[in-house]
Amino acid sequence: MRYNIAIAGNPNCGKTTIFNALTGARQHVGNWPGVTVERKSGKYTQAEHKFDVIDLPGTYSLAAFSAEETIARQYLINDKPDVVVNIVDASNLERNLFLTTQLIELGRPMVIVLNMMDMATEKGLEIDADTLATLLGAPVIPVVGRSGAGIDLLKEKILRVARELSLKSRPIDITYPRDIEAELEQVSALLTASGDENRLVRWTSVKLLESDKQTRDEVRALKGGEAILEQTARSIEHIERLFKDVGRAVISHARYGFIQGALRECVVETLPDAVDYSRRVDRLLTNRWLGLPIFALFMWLMFKVTFDLGSIPMGWIDSGVVFLMNVISAALPQSMFASLLVDGAIGGVGAIAVFLPNIFMLFFIIAILEDTGYMARVAFIMDRIMHNIGLHGKAFIPMIMGFGCNVPAIMGTRILESRRDRILTVLINPFMSCSARLPVYVLVAGAFFPENAATVIFSMYILGIVAAIGSGKLFSKTILKGMSKPFVLELPPYQRPTLRSLVLHTWERGFLFIQKMGTVILVGSVLIWALGYFPTQVDLERDYSAERAQVNQVYDQDLSDLTAKFKSSVQASKSVYHSEMVEYKASSGYQELNDQYQTLRTSLSEAHTNQLYSLRQQEVGDITEQKWIGRIGKVFEPIVAPLGFSWRESVALITGFVAKEIVVSTFGVLFGVGANVDEGNLGVISGLRSSGMTPLAALSFLVFTLLYTPCLATVAAIKRETGTWSYTLFSIGYSLGLAYLLAFGVQYFGGIFNWLS
Amino acid sequence: MFNFNKPRHQLSNDYSDGLRLNDLKPGEIGRVLEIGGSEQFRLRLIEMGLTKDTEVCVDKFAPLRDPMELIVRGYHLSIRGQDAQKIAVERIN
Repeated sequence: MRYNIAIAGNPNCGKTTIFNALTGARQHVGNWPGVTVERKSGKYTQAEHKFDVIDLPGTYSLAAFSAEETIARQYLINDKPDVVVNIVDASNLERNLFLTTQLIELGRPMVIVLNMMDMATEKGLEIDADTLATLLGAPVIPVVGRSGAGIDLLKEKILRVARELSLKSRPIDITYPRDIEAELEQVSALLTASGDENRLVRWTSVKLLESDKQTRDEVRALKGGEAILEQTARSIEHIERLFKDVGRAVISHARYGFIQGALRECVVETLPDAVDYSRRVDRLLTNRWLGLPIFALFMWLMFKVTFDLGSIPMGWIDSGVVFLMNVISAALPQSMFASLLVDGAIGGVGAIAVFLPNIFMLFFIIAILEDTGYMARVAFIMDRIMHNIGLHGKAFIPMIMGFGCNVPAIMGTRILESRRDRILTVLINPFMSCSARLPVYVLVAGAFFPENAATVIFSMYILGIVAAIGSGKLFSKTILKGMSKPFVLELPPYQRPTLRSLVLHTWERGFLFIQKMGTVILVGSVLIWALGYFPTQVDLERDYSAERAQVNQVYDQDLSDLTAKFKSSVQASKSVYHSEMVEYKASSGYQELNDQYQTLRTSLSEAHTNQLYSLRQQEVGDITEQKWIGRIGKVFEPIVAPLGFSWRESVALITGFVAKEIVVSTFGVLFGVGANVDEGNLGVISGLRSSGMTPLAALSFLVFTLLYTPCLATVAAIKRETGTWSYTLFSIGYSLGLAYLLAFGVQYFGGIFNWLS
Repeated sequence: MFNFNKPRHQLSNDYSDGLRLNDLKPGEIGRVLEIGGSEQFRLRLIEMGLTKDTEVCVDKFAPLRDPMELIVRGYHLSIRGQDAQKIAVERIN
């Protein structure tokens, strides 16, 4: 037989640990249809029965307030799992059982797992599992998920509950105060009379009295639905008059009453003075004075480890990619296919594959922060600041990580629970100046502001932060208005993370990035390559090889003239003073002549090299101008002209879509130095200086580079995390617009007030 | 037509100018009298166990004074001061 199991429970109850313990590594991570809530499924076999396990999102309740709650609820009602495995934190029973009281009403066969028994014992809680099982009408299994104790028993129990499905075990009802029960009865009677056999009558009646909109809509469609809703309205009015509060508050209150009654019968506190270790740790970690400095230290370490330690395997991947490119281009004959494979596909994906170590490292650290429970404290400490831009405290982490690389940072927004917060954080993240933008700053600022390069670069970082904050405020007051959720955050006890769960977490999230690399980034890289490769035949107005021959000929002529002149001078001066050549060569007169000759020769050869170089530069420029990319650059030239850019800058910016650091190598190509340049290359610097770019245009170029869409990988990550093209396209459009506006501002006001001239 | 949605809840007159949760100092314990504010907020709090008559201990304030940390039903919960201001309490220690 094959059975479906759903795992349900509060956040922080160790749900994922139990899920991992049940399914091992055989799991699949995806998204629930239509929403970006992680959907985890797995399977295991027990006594030749197959179990498909689904890990429902962690929720405190089954109200349909959040996407997570709606998903969990819809799945339990519509997919009717054979067994619901409800994980509860034994050390925090009271609140955890609130969800259980709702699950009981859903009427699915259930197994209750008392997880974290070790922590409960440490707290001095003695729990009578058998009595609890009787009171809740479902088997209760104590386990310690982290060590795996009790998991075998749990699997056995799940199997037995699944197989006894036909035996119709009768679960208990949560009983409410008499006045509420009376109203429930009235509504239930009408529901039963409506003859909808698939309906869970008690659950539906309770939800109706709780003013649950979704249930109301479902009931309205039933036969006699309007009559049921009329009765519901009367009942709610009655309850509100009696209890002076809305139905849902009264019912929730009653649920807690039921729980307290049950716990009185089966829980004994043996250590009333047990030490709350987490609270002690928090005296330090969220301390009034030390909390922020310690957090800053952790952030610094996180940044250091991610980008410094990550740079080691980064070097290996980089050399691996270069090696692969060399081997393939050596093995294949020069052809379009070879160029496509090497320069387009491998080069493009390789440029992004080097970020893999960073991404995995970052996800590993985030997993540590989450699994230990420190992430909740980050939200606690930073909420005051992030609240200013309408965000949750946790959003601080992806913002900081954006300084390293926006891709893992945007993927890191998964730590935020609310979709609105995730989208807002994703949209402003690209303004955090990532490390790939630094080479561009260094090159351009070094070429135009050698005296003040550091100041210029630093102000780019500041401008990025200002743009992020400003846009955050703007978005939370306009397009993402009013979707904000109240801040109600549990601070779970600290825990030692298990390596297994850290690795699983890291792998799951990192794998998503690898998947993306194979698709969006590959297509994008090939597209940019094609723009630079086609058309293969270009007609140049000038005959560069003839000009080169001309230059060489002139040089040869000049050189031989010079040499002849030198020889005749030597002859003349020798005949005046000396008879022997050996004697003469030692004289100062000869030395002088020779030095003169050598100097002239060197300067002649330098001038020749420069001439050839500048010819080559013009030729490459002319060729690129005729490739599609150059034509597009030309098309954009009038558009970017107000920013002070020529077609060259517009080409550089277009290629920068693949990855920002490519802007540097594009300048390398455009100025005939070749693509393999770094930001300190003198050829590119002199090329930039002599290209007609003004310092003001250079500044506006920097501003544009900072603000416009960071790279393809980021676009892919935005698409992945927002789940829609509309937010993705909006992000591209907005950042391009803002980049244009501010770059134009620099050019315009700089021109008026005569900056930098 | 009956209105099923009550988006906001006004505190009763009895409590409208009394003690609020954010008035308590760290270490003080209060008993919840009533929770006001948006429906979503108050029902979420009730579901988290902050029901009427529940005892709440104010554990501490965050380094920047906001949000605050509470101990409710044996676990730690954090809410913002502006929200705590909508919770009427009486001091019991």
